[in-house]
This record gives sequence, C-alpha cells and structure tokens, in this order.
Amino acid sequence: MKKVLRFLGVLVLMAVFTMSIFATGEAEGGEEPIKFGGVWPLGDITGDQGSKAAQIAIDEINAAGGLLGRPVELIVIDSELSPEKGAAAIERLATIEDVDFFVGGMSSGVHLGQIPTLKKYRKITMWTGAASHTVEEAMGPNQEWYFHLHPWDYNQGASYVEGWDAIAERYPEIKTDRWFLAYEEGPFGTASFAATKALFADREIYGEPFQSAAAGGGDYTAVLERAKELEPDVFIWAAWEADALPLMEQSKAIDFNPPLYVGAPPGWPADFGESPLAENVTLYGMWAPSLNNVIDNSKQFYDNYVTTYNEEPATYFAPLGYSAIYVIAEAVERAGTLDQEALIAELKKSKYQSPMGEIITFSPSNIISNQGIRKQKILQWQNGMQEVIWPFEYSTAEPVYPFKPWKER
Amino acid sequence: MLKMNRFQQIAALLAAICIGMIFLWRPTAIVYGVQRAGLYAAVALPMALVLGIVHIVNLAHGEIMMVGAYSTYFLSRTFGIDPYLALIPTVLVLYVIGVAIYKSTISRSVTGSELSQLILTFGIAMVLSQTMNLIATSQPRKLSLSYVSSSAQIGEISFGTYEFVFPVLAALMLIGMTYFLRKTKLGKAATAVGQNPRGSAVIGINVQRTYMIIFALSSALLGVVGSVFMTKMSIFPMVGGSYTMKSFCLVAMAGIGNLPMVVIGSLVLGIAESTIQAFPGGGGWSSLVFFVLIIAVILVRSFREKTV
Repeated sequence: MKKVLRFLGVLVLMAVFTMSIFATGEAEGGEEPIKFGGVWPLGDITGDQGSKAAQIAIDEINAAGGLLGRPVELIVIDSELSPEKGAAAIERLATIEDVDFFVGGMSSGVHLGQIPTLKKYRKITMWTGAASHTVEEAMGPNQEWYFHLHPWDYNQGASYVEGWDAIAERYPEIKTDRWFLAYEEGPFGTASFAATKALFADREIYGEPFQSAAAGGGDYTAVLERAKELEPDVFIWAAWEADALPLMEQSKAIDFNPPLYVGAPPGWPADFGESPLAENVTLYGMWAPSLNNVIDNSKQFYDNYVTTYNEEPATYFAPLGYSAIYVIAEAVERAGTLDQEALIAELKKSKYQSPMGEIITFSPSNIISNQGIRKQKILQWQNGMQEVIWPFEYSTAEPVYPFKPWKER
Repeated sequence: MLKMNRFQQIAALLAAICIGMIFLWRPTAIVYGVQRAGLYAAVALPMALVLGIVHIVNLAHGEIMMVGAYSTYFLSRTFGIDPYLALIPTVLVLYVIGVAIYKSTISRSVTGSELSQLILTFGIAMVLSQTMNLIATSQPRKLSLSYVSSSAQIGEISFGTYEFVFPVLAALMLIGMTYFLRKTKLGKAATAVGQNPRGSAVIGINVQRTYMIIFALSSALLGVVGSVFMTKMSIFPMVGGSYTMKSFCLVAMAGIGNLPMVVIGSLVLGIAESTIQAFPGGGGWSSLVFFVLIIAVILVRSFREKTV
C-alpha cells in the first residue's frame, strides 16, 4: 500500500513539474501583457458595471490584436467603498501586479484616500468617478499623469444652469423660477443645496433636509408637505437611490404634483423605470440606452455589453469605464511606446468619440491639468426609458410638461 | 382600569395637552407620528421578547429583519406573488434561521457574560449583511406596489394611509406576545427562564430549548416585520443596522420586560420626531430628538429610582 502511495506521489510531483515547465515556457515565449489596474466598488452597481464594461474594451482590443503587438489585461480590485481598501488596492496594483495604468473609481471619499498612494507611484491614471472639488484640491496642480473623466461638481452645476436656461428658452411654457430642493442631511445633500443656491442665484431657491433611507430614515412626508405649500416650479431631490421609489410613493400619497419633478441621485434603482410612478420624472446623467438611437458608438457598446453579460448597462459608469480603457489604448497606439512622457503628450491630444456622445478631449480645469467630460445631460423617464431632453443635439424625446397629476394617472 | 400614581397622571395629562396642541397646529404631524411609532414598535417588540424576557443581547436584530425583507422581496419577484403572501414562507425560513443561529452560536454564550453575547451577535450581524451584499449587491431594492400610495383627504389635507399598517402590526404583536407570555405554558416557561434559568432547570424546564424557541420566534416575528417593511421602504444589506440601535434604545427606555411601554415609548418618539420635522428646517433634528428623549427618560427614571 505504501509503495502504491509513494508511486502516486512521484506521479503527482512529475505532473506538477511538467506543467510548471510548460507554464514557464508559455510566459517566456509569449509577450508580457500591458496591464490596466482597475479599482471599483464591486458591490455597487456603478463599480460592478464599470469594471465589466472596461473588461469588454479589453476583450475588444485583444480581439483586434492587442496594443503594440502585446495583449492587454485588466486586473480589478474591489475598493468596497472604503478609502483604506481603495488605497491598499492602488498599492497592490502598483507593486505586486506592476500595472502600467490605473483606471476606475466612483466615490469621492474613496478617491481622497487613494490620492497619496497615486502620487507616490505617479503612473498614468484615467479616473472615471469622484465629482467633489475637494478631490481636485487634494490632487493639486501640475500632476500631468492624472486624467479625470467625470465632470467636477462645479462642472455639473454649470451644466445644469446651461441646460435649464436652454430648455426654458426653447419651451417658454416650462417655468424654472421657483425651486425647492429636498436634500439628504449628509455632505452630498448639503453640498448640493449650497451649490444650487450659488449657481441659481437669479432664481428663488428653497430647501429642506431629510434623513435618507440609507441613513435609517425614509419618511419624507414633512419635507414634501413643505414643498407642496411653497408651490415650486421645480421640485428636486438630492439623495441616494434608496430614496427614489419611496419618495415617489409618498408624493403620490400626499398628492404632491410639482410641474417639474427632478431626481438627482448618483444612481437609480435597477427597477425604478418599471414603476408607473417613474413616469415623467426628470433626472441628471451622462448616458442612457435611449442614446443608442442617436449615437452609433452607444449602440455598439450597449449591444456588446448585453451580449456579454446578458444584462442591460443601467449606469453611466459603464460607458465611462469602457471609455477610460479606449482613451489610453488609442494614445498608446499613437505614441507607439509606453514611455510615460510620450504617452501623456498623446493623451492630451485625445479626441475619443465616446458612447456617451461627447468627444473626449482634455484641458485644464480649476486646478488639474487634464479634465475630460464637463457636461451632464438632462433626461426624463418616459415609458420606462430614460430619454435625453438636453443637450438638444443628443435629445431622444421632447420633454413632457407639466408632470402629470397623480389623480389623472 | 389603569392605576396611575400622581407623577404618571401629570405626565399623561401633559402628553394629552401636547398632542392636542400639535393636532390643532398640524394634524398630519400626529398622523405621521403614529405611523412612525408603529414601525418603531413593530421592530422593537421582537427585541423586547429576546432581550427583555430571556435576556439575550442580540446585535443582529436589524440584520435578521433585513434577511426577512430580502426573502420576501426575492419570493415576490421570482414567483410574482404579493409580499403579504410571500410573508408566510419567509416566517418559516426565518424561524429555521433563528434556530440555526441559536444552535450554532448563541447557545454557547447564552449563560456567559453579556459582553460575549454582544461581540458574538455583532459578528453575526456582519456575516448576515456581508453575505447579503455578496448575494444581492449593495444596490437598494424596492417593489413598486400601487397600494402603498393609498391616501385619504380630510378638507385640504392629504395624507398616506398605508403606513397605518405598522401601528396595526405593532398592536397585533403586542396582544399576541402578551397572550403568549401570560397564557401559554411555553410563554410562562420563557418568563421563568428569563428570571432564573438555574431555578427553572431545577423545576424541569428545558432551558436551552426555551431559549432556542424564543430566539427563533423573535426571528420569525422579524420576518413578518421585514416583509411589511420592504413594502414601504427600499432595502439594502445595511438597512437593518439603524433599527437595531433604535430598538435597543426603545427597550432600554421602556424598561426590560415591559412590552406595553415599548409601544408607548415608540409613540412618544414617533410623535416627537414628526413634530420636530413639521417645523421648517426640522428635518435634520429628528435623530437628535430621538436620542435626547431616550437619554432624558433614562436619566429621569434613574433619578426616581434613587429617590424612592
């Protein structure tokens, strides 16, 4: 029995040895991949779909022959929405994985924690998230290796002002003079209220905080009643996706029908559009599947995503993740090298036609040297779909105005 | 007839005057306060059973409710059934989960210190929320149900009526639990085990079995509460945490083992919160009011105990 066991042991050892030789042989014979290190919160839909979309871009590039004759690889680490884990992920990607580029990102809080580590390694970074201007302040000027795709909060605010002005001009029946902002009592909501007051200084702005369902609240009746009393032209809420459907239900219960009902969460619940209460709610965003009708790139991206994952991309972080990979890949192709200086020079010349419609270019923002997208879009839920109503060049539907009273639904 | 001492009579009179004045000023503050109180009481009563009667400190309370909410959500989505129908299998599932949690972990610490129970159940809470995070992701989920937007109109005032389901649920739970503890053999055994486990064992009560059944019953009740909760609120893996905290505070405020006081305490807190919210800019103060009131009640009670 012992002899049989010993024989088997020798066989296993030989097999392992032989496989290791083959494995080594393949690594030595093939080209080393160009590595993209991605950090996303994988438990959140933004990170889940952002990383999946980036992987699609990687697969497409490999299918087309790779970059500089080498395959490309995406190594993803979950930030778990934690600044400490996000920073540790950058550290690991820079040292153990030895990646060439950093991509990904969603939350400003996490990114603030990552910035010292990013500055330590100074690898080319194409960041898809983090809107807070405090992130820009933390990054500071003259960090030429840092490229930021997502608009900063002040870009978003300016974009909304431009959008509502344009809508009011084209559709004179749409009034936007008197606003009521219901905002969650945390930093996101209070910053949104402060920014709205500053940006829309020529309009009447009222506001009231509430405790978000994400923080143990979820009763919006008091704030909705106050808004109803003030009869605003625009009612807007700035909170989290957990608040979306309960807010609509409570608005219906107290028969609150503002002419424009706007929601501004960073992401929407996956099944929000299925609810009849979603109809004619206006929202902010950068991309929606309806753009497939007006942008070829969008349709190509969407079809590829649905075919690969058998699910619909439901957040603009998906096309952002996809674009981040392609912007770098195109610059590498143009530069013909991975030399950082040459690559940065090429990245600054980028003109990438993104699935979101915008041609991505980079120019200095308030502090950093390389800011990508600056505009948001104004959309509206119509028949379960997010339709673009502004910018008009990408519009997929006319705005429905006023918000249909609950009693007539 | 309720017998009240002078202090309680004055407190009751002051409360009635306050409620009357609030009602005259803003009637919906009372309506929403009662609805909110119902939710607080419904979540806290199962904890009052486990902590107040058999003295098991359970920090995974809100997370068990969250599991119940997800169970009903997935059953409703998968089979296209109403959450109130999906509630039935959820109750059974939660009972089994309660037995499993008790048998595998809590039974080892039930006679130990409260600190070890605290740490153990905190760990269970983490395991439950992280497991749900892996299964369902952190994305909030909410079923769109037409009946949750039902409303009534009195004069110019419209208000939601569906939320009255919570006070009704809390009242049913209070009646059921009181009957169970006073009239059933198991309920009396549970009270005895809570007061003196060693003595209960001497007179022939199976102490471990009693602990297990009470914990499982509490979990099953949380399955009911979670199922009703998810009809109105969005659910996500971390949704239970804040309700654990509030339930603890309510049970502590009511006094260990005093089930009716959990409901009365919830009523006070619910109305106080909605009254504060009725003031312009008061939305951000409701959490503060909750904890300030609890601190005040506990301080007053300890002062009275010292002076008696």
